[in-house]
Amino acid sequence: MGEHALLYILFAPFLGALGLIFVSNRQPLLVRGIAASSAFVSLISSIYLFYAYDPVKGGFQFVEKIEWSRQLGISLHLGVDGIGTPLVLASTILLFAGIFVSWHITDRTKEFYIWLLILAAATIGVFMSLDLFFLYFFYEMSVIPMYLLLGMWGSHTKKYLEMSDPEGVKLRDSVGFILNFGSNSKEYAAMKLVLFLSAFAVVALMGILLIYKYSGLNTFDILVLREQANLMNIPVLGTTLDKIIWVLVFFGFASIAPLWPMHSWSPVGHAAAPAATSMLHAGVLMKLGHFSIIRVAFEILPETTREMMPIAAVLCMFSIIYGGFVAFYAKDTKYVIGYSSSSHMGYVFLGMAALSYISLSGAVIYMFAHAMATGMLFAMAGWVYDQTHTRDIPSLGGLSNKMPFISACFMVACMASIGMPGTVNFIAEIMIVVGSWNKYPLQVIVAMLGIVLTLAYLFKMMRGLFYGPMNQKYGHAHDAISTVDRLPLLIMISVSIGFGIFRCICMMLFALAWIH
Amino acid sequence: MIFSLNLSFSDLLLLLPEIFLTCWLCVVLIVDFVSPRLPKEQLAYLSVAGLVITLGCLAWFDVNHISGALFGNMFVLDRMAIFFKVFILGATILVILSSVEYVNRFTLFRGEYYVLVVMSALGMMFMASANDLLSVFVSLEFSTLGFYVLVSYLRDDLASNEAGLKFFILGVFAAGLFAYGISLVYGETGQLVFSEMSSAQATPGLIIGFLLIFAALGFKIGAVPFHSWIPDTYHGAPTPVTAFLSIAPKGAALVILLRIFLVALASFKPVWVYLLVAVSIVSMTYGNIVAIAQRNIKRLLAYSGIAQIGNVLIGLAAGTKMGSDAILFYLLAYLFANLGAFAVVIAVSQAIGKDEIEDYRGLNRRSPFLAFAMLLFLLSLAGVPPLAGFIGKLYIFVAAIQEGLYTLITVGLINIVISMYYYLIVVKQMYINEPIDPSPIRISSPMKTVIYVSLAGTLVIGIYPQPFTDWVVEATLMFSNFVTPSATALPSTIHVGG
Repeated sequence: MGEHALLYILFAPFLGALGLIFVSNRQPLLVRGIAASSAFVSLISSIYLFYAYDPVKGGFQFVEKIEWSRQLGISLHLGVDGIGTPLVLASTILLFAGIFVSWHITDRTKEFYIWLLILAAATIGVFMSLDLFFLYFFYEMSVIPMYLLLGMWGSHTKKYLEMSDPEGVKLRDSVGFILNFGSNSKEYAAMKLVLFLSAFAVVALMGILLIYKYSGLNTFDILVLREQANLMNIPVLGTTLDKIIWVLVFFGFASIAPLWPMHSWSPVGHAAAPAATSMLHAGVLMKLGHFSIIRVAFEILPETTREMMPIAAVLCMFSIIYGGFVAFYAKDTKYVIGYSSSSHMGYVFLGMAALSYISLSGAVIYMFAHAMATGMLFAMAGWVYDQTHTRDIPSLGGLSNKMPFISACFMVACMASIGMPGTVNFIAEIMIVVGSWNKYPLQVIVAMLGIVLTLAYLFKMMRGLFYGPMNQKYGHAHDAISTVDRLPLLIMISVSIGFGIFRCICMMLFALAWIH
Repeated sequence: MIFSLNLSFSDLLLLLPEIFLTCWLCVVLIVDFVSPRLPKEQLAYLSVAGLVITLGCLAWFDVNHISGALFGNMFVLDRMAIFFKVFILGATILVILSSVEYVNRFTLFRGEYYVLVVMSALGMMFMASANDLLSVFVSLEFSTLGFYVLVSYLRDDLASNEAGLKFFILGVFAAGLFAYGISLVYGETGQLVFSEMSSAQATPGLIIGFLLIFAALGFKIGAVPFHSWIPDTYHGAPTPVTAFLSIAPKGAALVILLRIFLVALASFKPVWVYLLVAVSIVSMTYGNIVAIAQRNIKRLLAYSGIAQIGNVLIGLAAGTKMGSDAILFYLLAYLFANLGAFAVVIAVSQAIGKDEIEDYRGLNRRSPFLAFAMLLFLLSLAGVPPLAGFIGKLYIFVAAIQEGLYTLITVGLINIVISMYYYLIVVKQMYINEPIDPSPIRISSPMKTVIYVSLAGTLVIGIYPQPFTDWVVEATLMFSNFVTPSATALPSTIHVGG
């Protein structure tokens, strides 16, 4: 029963989506019930997984292997280690919370939940794949639901993306300006997201195909490739093959992370997406990038990773600082949170680049922690948008009178995002900082500055939304009162405050045995 | 060449599917003449019944490994021929079912329509078995003859007439090239049978001869630079005929290309690989880029078809057994996705009477089923998991990377991204835009069958491909003897050019 937990986690949402096809849109309660119960099965199984995973033994556990194609050497090889387990848990928590956050969607409810479930299941699939083919399979599969979710239930970004500094002088996001072409529609955001992700995904696919060919083992199995593939010291085009593969894989997957300068699709996508999609997007979809880099580049090419990872260390500084500054000047709530996510993902890259036990564990815990914090922020930004139909921070204000519960939760979420002691984020940040200090002191200083920036823009947004004089236009706005509305926030808050953190740390320490 | 025509009963057995289908064709024609008042749907179902029986017969051949050659190797029945016959028959059945309703648009000769479709299918079945240049030529012209009529079937529609004329003139031109090519090849080698040419010397005459033959077959599959007839013909022809034209002749021409390149010209692989790489790159890039600018769904699918053929040619350029497996697999995926997409186009045009992409506005509100089906078919064409097209593309890339065709794969991968854009434009119209006229769309039951079958094919091949890969691997076993041991690039040498 328990040993097949991975199959339950992965296939419960798929089966839920399949079941929803046969339900009519005229029974919204049944639709929501099916979606919530399939997510619940997934959530319960992943909590079981989290506690049943044996951190002392380490390695890949709950392994499933089903042959899928003999000719191509593909099998559905699933398994989780200390890195996969918390990320699977984060995905299922966010999926479950996301279903309640989007409880009030009335337009094509059934289709919404079908795509949401497929999106979450595909992400979960990546986190448990031990086969390069299936890793790519699920990775690509998560992109198309994003297109439909953004396009059908998203909102136009209007003029919120224009930014101004405190004196009212207009600023522009320079890289965003080059790649934005000034369009504010949700269709544009959705198309940009899909094309960016597909374009970089095929880069990664090229790397995967090269691994497949040059290993000569006729298999996509990561465990076999890790043990037996010898890709070192093959001269190609004036450099060596392993470096080419590493660059393809790293930049292919880093775009979804999103590492600067490949980030411009991400905040635009966040801003256009409905709340639950933003939560999954920022919470787990972005982590696909880091996770896939760890699975493919770190596992199969450890030597090259050690040699090349300084690239990530350099780029992550730009991510942190650039994202922080844009978030500070942005006026759109979701845009602020989106850029803050892309800035925070820089910390994860820093932790990965330092390649020590502590920093890498910190990076993985940070992914988990950030999923909760940013999930809460997006859920509440979505609530405020639903109530006021605007995300323009300057025109909002004083909402804490109308929604005390939301404003209190928002405070907690900001604290978590900043990394207040007592939240998971604090421990993760400390681990990244301590673990990277020896190798990258400059980056650590930049990361510290980033934390200060986070403090600045989150407080600025909080003041803009909830305090100060209230705009009477939004007098009809009301708080989240019903259980359905409060449940997702309460779940995420309780997870964020110290949930299973020591367990996480023990798991991490043994995840990648080759690091010294 | 000596022909021995002392056919025994067991020889006739090999021809049984074709003989049966010919008889059935006559039966359908006679029934149409004898009882003119019979509803024409009945004729469609009668033809489908004949095709299904033939399909059953071929399945029996395949299970019992029946194979052989007739008429001095002019006609072979090997596993690959059986595969392609099944492929063509499957396509024909789906096309006939999807035209049941459409046929009412024809003012005259509604019964003959089915006869012509089955006749073309018969010609293509012979093509699948043709093993020498003469029988290729005869069967190719036989099948194309039916298409000339079918394309211009809408008598009063100028576009259809134009399409027919364009197709006819260019088709006859291609036939001329083919005949000239045959004469050159025969003059140089003294052989017509593919398997006996493998020892030929590369003389200028032989090279020009094969180039001409390649041009004629390139015309059939619609590869750039022989594609110029495709958009107008696809646009003007009755939509079920377009669907038929977009899949069956391509399959039939590809079996000939496989036999020519992997059997007759196996020893010249280092030479022709450059030809195929060039044609493939140009086809993919041209097809995908021009498709972006299309406003009509049939033209969009026409250009996407050109690009898809470019993808198929990647497998041919690999020139290995695995490459041919990949081609067969890709064609299976393409069959369901493409015919399914055309079935949706037919269903929509029955309801609205137009084929512009604009008319797909809000299809999701008008018919969630049609929109969802179209979404999956287009995504399968684009190569998105977990659909059949993704596995097909991956199979082709894996086959090509084994041969070190890096440039080709890079171009292929870039093209996936380009194609994603225009498929998603259609998806955007269907799902994101609101309909102008929200009345629901009714779908006839034969059409529903076609769409369900195509959906099932697209999903099943994508999610559980093992039985299908097994099938294609067995179908191409013959190539493991002919193909020269692959010149797998040593790890130390990567040739960027190839």
